[in-house]
Amino acid sequence: MSLLTVEHLTMRFGGLVAVDDVGFSAEEGRITALIGPNGAGKTTVFNCLTGFYKPDTGRLALRADGREHMLERLDDFRVASEAKVARTFQNIRIFPQMSVLENLMVAQHNRLMRASGYTLLGLVGAGRFRAAERAAVERAVYWLDRVGLTDRADIDAGTLPYGGQRRLEIARAMCTEPVLLCLDEPAAGLNPRESGELNDLLTFIKAVHRIGILLIEHDMNVVMEISDRIVVLDHGRKISEGPPDFVRNDPAVIRAYLGEEEHEGG
Amino acid sequence: MAAGTLAERGRAFLPMALKEAGIAAGIALLLALPLVGAKTVSEGSAFVVTPRIVELAIGVVLVFAGRLAIASLRGGHHIPVVAAALALAALGWLFALPSAFLGVVTIAGGLAVACIGAIGLLRARRDRIPAAARIDSARLPRQALAWLGPALIALAILLPFLPFADRRVMDIAILVLTYVMLGWGLNIVVGLAGLLDLGYVAFYAVGAYSYALIARDFGLDFWSCLPLAGVFAAFFGIILGFPVLRLRGDYLAIVTLGFGEMIRIILLNWYNFTGGPDGISGVPRPTFFGLPFKRAPPEGVESFHQFFGIDYASIHRTYFLYFLVLALALITNAFTLRIRRLPIGRAWEALREDEIACRSLGINPTNTKLTAFAIGAMFGGFAGSFFATRQGFISPESFTFIESAIILAIVVLGGMGSQIGVVLAALVLIGLPEFFRELQEYRMLAFGACMVLITVWRPRGLLATRDPMIRLSRRRAPP
Amino acid sequence: MEYFLQQLINGVTLGAVYGLIAIGYTLVYGIIGMINFAHGEIYMIGAFIAMIAFLILGPDGGGYLILALFTVLIVSMMLTAVYGWTLERLAYRPLRGSTRLAALISAIGMSIALQNYVQLTQGARTKAIQPVIQGGIELAERDGFAVSLSYIQIVIVVLTLALMASFSLVIGKTALGRAQRACEQDREMAALVGIDVDRTISITFVIGASLAAVAGTMAVFYYGVIDFFIGFLAGIKAFTAAVLGGIGSIPGAMLGGLLIGLIEAFWSGYFTTEYKDVAAFSILVLVLIFRPTGLLGRPEIEKV
Repeated sequence: MSLLTVEHLTMRFGGLVAVDDVGFSAEEGRITALIGPNGAGKTTVFNCLTGFYKPDTGRLALRADGREHMLERLDDFRVASEAKVARTFQNIRIFPQMSVLENLMVAQHNRLMRASGYTLLGLVGAGRFRAAERAAVERAVYWLDRVGLTDRADIDAGTLPYGGQRRLEIARAMCTEPVLLCLDEPAAGLNPRESGELNDLLTFIKAVHRIGILLIEHDMNVVMEISDRIVVLDHGRKISEGPPDFVRNDPAVIRAYLGEEEHEGG
Repeated sequence: MAAGTLAERGRAFLPMALKEAGIAAGIALLLALPLVGAKTVSEGSAFVVTPRIVELAIGVVLVFAGRLAIASLRGGHHIPVVAAALALAALGWLFALPSAFLGVVTIAGGLAVACIGAIGLLRARRDRIPAAARIDSARLPRQALAWLGPALIALAILLPFLPFADRRVMDIAILVLTYVMLGWGLNIVVGLAGLLDLGYVAFYAVGAYSYALIARDFGLDFWSCLPLAGVFAAFFGIILGFPVLRLRGDYLAIVTLGFGEMIRIILLNWYNFTGGPDGISGVPRPTFFGLPFKRAPPEGVESFHQFFGIDYASIHRTYFLYFLVLALALITNAFTLRIRRLPIGRAWEALREDEIACRSLGINPTNTKLTAFAIGAMFGGFAGSFFATRQGFISPESFTFIESAIILAIVVLGGMGSQIGVVLAALVLIGLPEFFRELQEYRMLAFGACMVLITVWRPRGLLATRDPMIRLSRRRAPP
Repeated sequence: MEYFLQQLINGVTLGAVYGLIAIGYTLVYGIIGMINFAHGEIYMIGAFIAMIAFLILGPDGGGYLILALFTVLIVSMMLTAVYGWTLERLAYRPLRGSTRLAALISAIGMSIALQNYVQLTQGARTKAIQPVIQGGIELAERDGFAVSLSYIQIVIVVLTLALMASFSLVIGKTALGRAQRACEQDREMAALVGIDVDRTISITFVIGASLAAVAGTMAVFYYGVIDFFIGFLAGIKAFTAAVLGGIGSIPGAMLGGLLIGLIEAFWSGYFTTEYKDVAAFSILVLVLIFRPTGLLGRPEIEKV
């Protein structure tokens, strides 16, 4: 059984059908890419998955901790806290006035809240809370090392350069210890060297942490190199799905990207 | 070459500046014509209008001069502007203008322009000094602030023992500290969690009325009522906050304003319970842990001066109230500093920065906001019961929207989230007008104007520098 | 039934006043997405300017009452518009790129400053004028209770309707209206296609302030008494009206104003007057909780 199973996902905004009866799946330890021209509905799929939008129809099942979570029924914050789905955003959403380390501590909020006895134990400085906090800092440092921001840990996140903010956002998502990581255009605005580092990071996460990664990306070099499976959307519909080599040569995909009219016929 | 361009710039600049100043003066004339230029006075049963030409003229000239000064500063003419502004302020001080208002505007405006000019001058000078020799201006205030806190606390503890600390000074100090405490309480909501609460006074009122009513109806003393008042206020915070905290920031602000006014109107009209506009009098005064401050205590009760074997002095109670509010305020401060290091405090700040990102990290926004709202309300409730015991009388009049606005102004002007900023803002906004009674009339006008100016100048507040609450390296960040 | 009719008439009149103020809130919210908290004070200033202008002209308007009243209205609209323009220029424009909360705090500061400015220059006492437009039409009478429609009420409602109609025409048909709607949709894009965004926003404030001045002028002649504090409650109620109708929607503002006016009139007529302000606040809270888009507003999709 798959980690994530999406069936018949449809989302309308007024008269506009942004996502139309889309189905796909994502596996543990695999990178699944979601590609398509601008306006294809990729980010809307993400927003439905992560609870920010409530889809009109569809079943979004996620297996985590041996349980099945129906993502379409969960509030956005429960998708993250219970179903363990973490995400990043197309326009980076870090906490700019907080330090890099604090950004990563916020990501471990729920675990620390429990350890702080919902603040009461923390107020009196109980040992259990201090141990949990040390563990949280260690986890943060682990990810800071992975994304190369350890020596910037104490500066305001907003002062990081663009690429650093992108990496921080991924590190922050990983600090929530997700089973599924959804990345919305992580390579956007990166230079070739940074983009290469991103490939390494994602490959590392996939290989070592064995979680599922769902990736929206326009940079075809990134997509073709690291994806195990690619789902192609156009005008809200799925037009192709398969391994990179298959999708690369699929005439339907080529038509969609070259902008011919025939896709209307389906 | 450089001198030539400067002179050229000077020539081109003057007509431009004059034009700008002329336009500003024209607009000022239109604005002031009906409201400054004409005054409605009652004549028998009817009202008539009398002209105020001199005030109008002086006001327009002041605007002209002010705009000219700003344009000149932009043109780099610092020294003449500073000199002229100081001269103007001196004129306003020495010569009686037709109204006190104009005097205040002239002096304050002159001084303000002089300050801006002087700062600009210093900046211009500093830029010529090589970078290595420059004092790190970003670090300096931070280091000063680190010392200012402990120094202020020491001063606050020593204040009653200083020679000039008479009753008037102590009363003002108590008032200032009450607002510091309110400011710190609201700072949790507005400064940390980023929730604009325009009805904070509601919780202040709940605290005050809880104490007064519990003391009246159940005969409990201040020390039993204080925690109850805090609990009631927090409870109200949860009840009022729960349905509305999911609203977007500015809607939330308006709704909290509505709640504040609703509670006041209910207090005003629920005559049987709250005494309506007459309020509640005879609220029990505080006791020194059971020992009353009375010259002649009732039979069987020992009073403070008897217990300690000292002569009765009415100022003992004032000193006690002072230390009481100081302790309450410091507890609020310690609590805030502590909770900012805990996950909940970090989540508040993260919510202020980006709610959507918080939700994507599994933080329940409503609950998190609710705790901030309730804890802020609790401290408001403590402050309210202190207010009640200090005054001995409360009525809905003390809990108007303007009170909320004053507390908000303290938080905003101090720099949202900054604890020391709240103290400084409370000293300036509450302390100064108390010492200069003649300025009282202009206090609210200055409040409003300062809120606008400071928000426009520094949208994040005056002292909005923030140090991370947790560091990876123990040493200071590399320079 | 007669009593009901009378409250209906009073409510509609009140609603016209609230509706005119509410348009100012809705226009500004639509175009720059901020709550112009000082708008209630603009209404108050409009009322003061109208009263001062009227007192200068004399109690009978120098013999030409209609002309005098018209002059008072125009003077108030024009001078109040300057206040609206200045307000935006000084307190809001510098904060254009900042957060909504910064703009709101600035607006609250302006509201406090304007209120105290009027208190300082005109005194804290309530000002009153003798009723100018007297008389009315008696619609029905039973058991000594007469339902009357006063001329001033007729003037208020007719004037409001006329302004509304012409105003809708301006927004719907002219270049200004197009510019406003463009700025509403996407300010940067509007600037790119050559719309002077600053000017459009300024004009919006000028229009909002003039309409508030009309409301203020009508309040002076309807109630006969004003003081420096009237802007606060009227502002809140008009804002409630704007939210109730759907903030950003001009017909919504009128509808909301009408509803708030009717609710207030019936509440005072059938329940107690003490809690009539609580009624307005409760509606505000309830609408925001259960239908933040109001009656005629479009739903806002959260941008993630």
